[in-house]
Amino acid sequence: MIPLTLRVNGRERRVLVEPRQSLLRVLRDELGLTGAKEGCHRGECGSCTVLMDGVPLYACMTLAPEAEGREITTVEGLLDGEALGPVQDAFAEHDAFQCGFCTSGQIVAVEGLLRANPQPSLEEIRTGVSGNLCRCGAYPNIFRAAGRAAELRAGRGGDS
Amino acid sequence: MLPNFAYVRARTVEEALEHLGGEDTRVHAGGTDLLGCLRDRVFAADKVVSLRDVEGLTGIRRAADGGLVLGGLTTLAEVSRSSEVRGLYPGLAQAASAVASPQLRNQGTLAGNLCQRPRCWYFRGEFHCAKKGGAQCYAVGGQNRYHAVLGGGPCYIVHPSDTAPMLLALDAAVRIVGRAGERAIKLAEFFVLPEVELARENVLAPGEIVTEILLPPAPGLYSSYRKVRERGAWDFALASVALALRSIGGRVTQASVVLGGVAPAPWRAEAVERAIVGTTVDEKTARDAAAAAVEGAEPLEWNAYKLPLIRGIVEESLRRFHDYQPS
Amino acid sequence: MKAADYYLDGPAPETPEPRQRQDRWGETRVVGRPLPRVDAYERVSGSAVYPSDVQLPGMLHAAILRSPHPHARVKRVETSRAEAMPGVRAVITHQTPGADIAWYTDREGATVGHLFEAHCRFEGEAVAAVAAESPYQARDALEAIEVEYEVLPFTSDYETALEPRAPAVRDGGNRASEPGVYERGDLAAGFNAAEVVVEETFRTPCELHTPLEPHGCVARWDGNRLTVWESTQGVYPVQSRVAQVLGLPLANVRVIGHYVGGGFGSKLRPGKYTVIAALLARQTGRPVRLFLSREETLLCAGNRPANRMRLKVGAKRDGTLTAIEFHGLGSGGAYSGSGTGILDWQVRDLYRCDNVRCTTENVYIHAGAQRPMRAPGHPQCSWALEQVMDELADRLELDPVELRLRNLASVSQGRGGIPYTSNGFRECLEEGARTFGWLAARSRARSEDDLARGVGMAGGLWIAGAGGPPSTAIVKYFADGSVNLNLGASDIGTGTKTVMAMVVAEELGVPLDRIQIEHADTATTQFATASGGSKTVPTDAPAVRAAALDCHNQLLDMAAEELAVAPSELKLDGDHVVAVGDPEKRVALREVSDFRRRQVVVGIGYRGPNPEGKATCPFAAQFCEVEVNRRTGEVRVLRFLGAHDSGRVMNRATYDNQVYGGIVMGIGLGLTERRVLDTGQTGKMCNLSWHDYKIPTALDVPADVTSLPIETEDVECNTVGAKGLGEPVTIPTAAAIANAVYNATGIRVWEAPLNATRLAELLAEREA
Ligand SMILES: Cc1cc2nc3c(=O)[nH]c(=O)nc-3n(C[C@H](O)[C@H](O)[C@H](O)COP(=O)(O)OP(=O)(O)OC[C@H]3O[C@@H](n4cnc5c(N)ncnc54)[C@H](O)[C@@H]3O)c2cc1C
Ligand code: FES
Ligand code: FES
Repeated sequence: MIPLTLRVNGRERRVLVEPRQSLLRVLRDELGLTGAKEGCHRGECGSCTVLMDGVPLYACMTLAPEAEGREITTVEGLLDGEALGPVQDAFAEHDAFQCGFCTSGQIVAVEGLLRANPQPSLEEIRTGVSGNLCRCGAYPNIFRAAGRAAELRAGRGGDS
Repeated sequence: MLPNFAYVRARTVEEALEHLGGEDTRVHAGGTDLLGCLRDRVFAADKVVSLRDVEGLTGIRRAADGGLVLGGLTTLAEVSRSSEVRGLYPGLAQAASAVASPQLRNQGTLAGNLCQRPRCWYFRGEFHCAKKGGAQCYAVGGQNRYHAVLGGGPCYIVHPSDTAPMLLALDAAVRIVGRAGERAIKLAEFFVLPEVELARENVLAPGEIVTEILLPPAPGLYSSYRKVRERGAWDFALASVALALRSIGGRVTQASVVLGGVAPAPWRAEAVERAIVGTTVDEKTARDAAAAAVEGAEPLEWNAYKLPLIRGIVEESLRRFHDYQPS
Repeated sequence: MKAADYYLDGPAPETPEPRQRQDRWGETRVVGRPLPRVDAYERVSGSAVYPSDVQLPGMLHAAILRSPHPHARVKRVETSRAEAMPGVRAVITHQTPGADIAWYTDREGATVGHLFEAHCRFEGEAVAAVAAESPYQARDALEAIEVEYEVLPFTSDYETALEPRAPAVRDGGNRASEPGVYERGDLAAGFNAAEVVVEETFRTPCELHTPLEPHGCVARWDGNRLTVWESTQGVYPVQSRVAQVLGLPLANVRVIGHYVGGGFGSKLRPGKYTVIAALLARQTGRPVRLFLSREETLLCAGNRPANRMRLKVGAKRDGTLTAIEFHGLGSGGAYSGSGTGILDWQVRDLYRCDNVRCTTENVYIHAGAQRPMRAPGHPQCSWALEQVMDELADRLELDPVELRLRNLASVSQGRGGIPYTSNGFRECLEEGARTFGWLAARSRARSEDDLARGVGMAGGLWIAGAGGPPSTAIVKYFADGSVNLNLGASDIGTGTKTVMAMVVAEELGVPLDRIQIEHADTATTQFATASGGSKTVPTDAPAVRAAALDCHNQLLDMAAEELAVAPSELKLDGDHVVAVGDPEKRVALREVSDFRRRQVVVGIGYRGPNPEGKATCPFAAQFCEVEVNRRTGEVRVLRFLGAHDSGRVMNRATYDNQVYGGIVMGIGLGLTERRVLDTGQTGKMCNLSWHDYKIPTALDVPADVTSLPIETEDVECNTVGAKGLGEPVTIPTAAAIANAVYNATGIRVWEAPLNATRLAELLAEREA
């Protein structure tokens, strides 16, 4: 076991882990942050997507010790207090999910996309979420929600 | 789930090399392939050496000769975004952005992409196949839709990397550092076929690290990468073709054509190169050259479709080149 | 006891009483609008607790050891090394007392397989299970269990399973049942009368459900009471099976399934994992979490069987169908005899034809058992039937839409000619074609360069979708005008909770944010069947409506006393009750003294029976445009339109979303998905990951998808007028794509999936 200090959603968290533990298992099992989901634990679905230093990655393909010293943001970290962030708002507004299990990952992927590219084209949006499977098939609404999220972010100063 | 291992994060190449003595000590770059291999028990690890914090392994810079030096730990996303790569070697940007998914491109590195292990489902699955020391290559008499049609035997994997064919076409070299010292070798010498080395896909010795990828100067260079896959993202190539051509007045003076997804190593299609050098690659030349691309191919039961596929993308890529040429 | 013992089979009680009106809705104020989901906040904030998110103090993590062989006998299991490993709290096998549980039964009720089976008949058969302090330790322990297998010969190709050389899966051989035969009219006469005959053999692959949330549960005991948080489409079926297997009273088994990350039919019932988690929890005295790995879900959490279908259709020159002959073959795996369940239904019922013969054959193979998957049988049949219709149209030089319009059925022929409560198939075809711009798109010249465009369409119907009793709902109307709605159904992502709240809002005028919902919990909510079969809305919405009306009527009764006006003269107006003819006579609900004293009014609603002698089916037509690369066979879907008659639209937003989702799943069946077994060598599954089992990504789906509701008025099917939607939306999709590819290239692909791995060769052959 090794001790780690992780910065998650702006807070320092200390944990004792085995090196083989993925960031995803640590977030979920040790820190109780269950927003990021485990759909495959193989880098093949995207439901575990988190931001590391603002960039979307799969928490399941990241060894927990690799996350040390990085700024980790999960879907919970996109809330402003209890209020939804702009991407979350847009997903609710456009019904961009069905079962909702892929949704945290989709939202974080869109957040990452918009941080890098605040006004993406439709093709850029489709590519931006191409690492997030949705078996319920809500994709057309996800595309719309991402477009709407870009508008909302711009309206809010774009720094969520 | 992964077996347990020790984890160290090296600060310098030297420190990393020190840790990399043991047989089951593994380099961790982005980890996107390493973790999959460990999870699927393709190989074991008692120690994982992370290169994350090693100074000087990332970034893209101009070389003295006008070419580019890409740090081995540069992520695929950085490669595909880099204005220098896009300007000088657009084919490499295309190849890097054709890999996997955005998240994996944000994490996976260029050196890792070259060193990743093949995706054959027998190799990755619970099959004691020849490549893992077993008696047979299950692909020969099995489900071989995604296997090699060129250069196969005794194992029929295809090399999985998207950047490898492009880098080979660009005549890139890799800088390799080991305890014994440092060397730079051309990619043409880096990859090996199973008939030479059954258990590995390249000449990297245990404990060696790829630190840099070196691209020769690009003046007058046309490059492109075209990949066919079954679905739009997150899919390895059914077949791909990398072109690197130089031309004068529309006439090809130098050609490098490399196929991906069809052979156990990136596959140089020399017959295509011969067919187009000295021509303006008109329609007929493109078609004849494309036909030459599959010369000597030996499809297995389920992968004969790769032949027309290769012909199709070679012809299409050559015609793109032709149309692009300012006449 | 069988699950069926818990179902009502007589007429169901119905409220309100006959005196209380349940008029069909005219203009609705709430129902039908595209309202956001009542649980949207939970789902987008990350705060929704899915069963796989449940964490309990002291919880252990479990994992199952599975047979790596499709057919083997377990000769010895040695667990002592595993038991001694750090963190391991329990290891169980078939030898563990209490774990020797019968699991699979045949149709006569005889046991044919156990929870832990020593005779493994598919790769993935459970052999042992472990509970440990961490999920990693549990997996480590699995690797330390030593099992000696006697590997046996296997059968994994369903098409050759009946050959004499094929190793037998079950004692009686590989034929799972007598061939099913359906017949009407005179087939020979029908083909004699035909002027054109099309005959082809079709194949569809074995498709896997792969919901995003893996299958599994968390189990906890309190004395002899068991609570299970299960990722399920129906908490009651889980309760009944678990209680039966463990010999517990139903009341002692509480199953909770507030959220579920998709199921598509694979979570209609509990799995072995549910019972194994309960056993491990009992043995360790700790709560146990047992969720399958993704690989396990691919191996043994159900599938849509692969099918081979032979279809022969005869028609007159004017397009009138004269005869249809269908033969289907399939395998439900080692433990399900249903490889062709309701496979032939659309042949029997979709188009008018007097002479029909369908035969179906079911075989066993050494592979995981099928589970119903979104519209079982139907997309496969559609792949065959709708391609044949397209081919027929081609040969007759008729427009494909026109050919279908010429063969509309006015009654349900497969049910002996009874009428439908409503039938919007004609409108689906006509309005779908108009909105899509079908004629213009078809006449557009095919481009001559590398990229060829084409359009295609297909029709369909879903056998069920009427729903039916039993269903019970309770509406509690509180003194401040807020409401608690209580029903047992799961919301599998279709928007059940939202739609039901809208029904309450419609009847009681309560705003949605004043309605709280209790659902999917066997201890606290009412009996409901599993959410599947496209029947949740038509089953449960009428019960909810009845419960709301019951409340409504009780409120009026109370106010009637207060105002001294007959209840029939009163109506609810927001939080007031007013006399219909005299608006002066009104009273605020909170002033009604009886209500103030009681504080709450409880309305109960039951689902009434379906009309007798009638059939209720959703109908569909889908249209699409594709682009095919003529050199490589790459297919890109450019746009899609789904015209669906599912009766009333309850919520336009969740309705459209279902249409998109069905089309996306159909694109997977048509273009990329197939389970691959290593048939000739080991019988093991090759593509045991989500990377190799390819479901559509955002780049495989067009952004341009149109949902066109064909809102036929159905006053008979039930009291809300809605028919099922979730399944019909995926039925015609794959066939529509195949027809579009034909339109673009002139090449028919009879075997799905259809992509470059098939088309490249076919295109090249034609060139040559
Ligand atoms: C679902 C999925 C889909 C994928 N799809 C594609 C695809 O379409 N195309 C494609 O090309 N790839 C694909 N990949 C493969 C691969 O993960 C990425 O391409 C990535 O570039 C690998 O880089 P990495 O840094 O993560 O490698 P790592 O996982 O860190 O390393 C890969 C291997 O190389 C060794 N290694 C890494 N760096 C070095 C070094 N500097 N020197 C010596 N040895 C080293 C490691 O020990 C390991 O064995 C996919 C992977 C996944 C999981
Ligand atoms: S759980 Fe990480 S990609 Fe699926
Ligand atoms: S909403 Fe269910 S998987 Fe995307």
